[in-house]
Amino acid sequence: MLNTFQQKPHAVLPQPTPQEAARHEFSKSLKQFIQSSLLPGLGPVFAGRAAPEFAKTAGHAPADRHDIRKAMVPDTYFRHYAAVNRISQELLWDGVIDSIDRQEDELAKQAEINSAKNAGKLIIPDDFEVPRYVSALDIHCMPGGYVGADGSEGQITPGALYDRGVYLYAMGYTGPLNDDMGRSACQYIANKLEGFTPTRILDMGCTVGHSTLPYKEIFPEAELWGIDVGAPMVRYAHARAGALGLDVNFAQMNAEKTDFEDESFDLVVSHIMLHETSGKAMPKIFEECYRLLKPGGYMIHADLPPFDLMDPFTQFILDNETYYNNEPFWGAMREMDQVDLAKRAGFPEESIRFDTAPMAIMQQMAAAAGYDEASVTSVSDRDFTAGEFAPGGGWEVLVARK
Amino acid sequence: MKRTSKGKRPEFYDSPVLDQMMSMIMVLASEVSVLADEMDTIKRAVSAKAPDIAAELAAFVPDEQALQERETRRQEMLARLFYLVRKDAEETAEQATAKGYLKTIEEIAVK
Repeated sequence: MLNTFQQKPHAVLPQPTPQEAARHEFSKSLKQFIQSSLLPGLGPVFAGRAAPEFAKTAGHAPADRHDIRKAMVPDTYFRHYAAVNRISQELLWDGVIDSIDRQEDELAKQAEINSAKNAGKLIIPDDFEVPRYVSALDIHCMPGGYVGADGSEGQITPGALYDRGVYLYAMGYTGPLNDDMGRSACQYIANKLEGFTPTRILDMGCTVGHSTLPYKEIFPEAELWGIDVGAPMVRYAHARAGALGLDVNFAQMNAEKTDFEDESFDLVVSHIMLHETSGKAMPKIFEECYRLLKPGGYMIHADLPPFDLMDPFTQFILDNETYYNNEPFWGAMREMDQVDLAKRAGFPEESIRFDTAPMAIMQQMAAAAGYDEASVTSVSDRDFTAGEFAPGGGWEVLVARK
Repeated sequence: MKRTSKGKRPEFYDSPVLDQMMSMIMVLASEVSVLADEMDTIKRAVSAKAPDIAAELAAFVPDEQALQERETRRQEMLARLFYLVRKDAEETAEQATAKGYLKTIEEIAVK
């Protein structure tokens, strides 16, 4: 498949010059090439070369993902794969920063105009403490991270960087508005949880609100809140929602301990947030979800599945993110027993399960350039392949009901 | 905005020189791709209006503004090309180490 997916512009999204756009396109093309042409070679290289080499010195075949890592790290093919993967990430952010730096004043103006169109609240406290698992490293190598650096802390530019950068990182697989995870999880709720219509919804770790907005589209009567530990993220999210014509509330809050009252929501969701928290934070987040939900309310976290559902080679591929992409909790999170965490937080055991929410990307056809039937189908109809973005054409969801 | 991410960058090859060289190769590939796209745009957008584009290009003399824009572009390209070499100096200044990175992974996983 030739991937020509193009992001749908909106008022606060950076607009590249033709030359910047060509650079963005190259970083996306490079990622697509790594996924479709370099990644598949890792299996044969491991089986035919790296594993026998390892066995010669270790005296046994590689048994788990740590052994596989030891076997693969010295291999030239793996080195090129991992090095180019990392470089593609660096090229991507650097290319988007060119567009943002050039348009900084215009983006700030547009953010102000469009934030004013959003009737929802925007709450940014003065004395917020950013947790260390977000501030220790710039997650997925995004310069400045979620909180910004060198003066961008008080701006919207880190949000703009995330909005454009993540689209390229995901190679457009998240749809023209970057919202496929939210849209897919939301449709899962609408289709699979029969008779459940939430009236107050909380999206934890919402970043720029890209996954949050589909909940307003699909449940227009509901009061919707997005929270994140990054002030530039919620600031940008508020303006982005305004630019897209939706009234959504955003606040800088920590999902471990929010400012909301007990039993004040009937749906609490998150999308690829848990793997960016920590071993100490995750149980607290589950407990907070339980506290916030009304009886009968649902907690749904969309992330990648835990390691015990995968073979060691798949685990090894996924764990590369831990070591090479500033994702310190990526591997350890997948070793957490999430069902047990939900149980300990108070959710009845019979209500807790993992399930797959099929990608909603089919409905996004023709919403922006490049999303034709053949290419969209090739994204949504795939077998699970570790290392691919959105592996398997669906999103894993952990569901629990209070 | 800040251009590099906080956290010690992993090394993939036996020598850091090779990591830096690979980054340069990929940056050059990106720049070649940008040029190819730009040439394609010119060919498609201009050829219909100016059939004798080749003669016009041959006769072109850059003015001061063009000279400045070209030099800026070349300096920016070189900054991209030496991205890792510059990050190396930055990490040394910040004393970011591979050991420190592994320590962060361990600390953050603590239950």
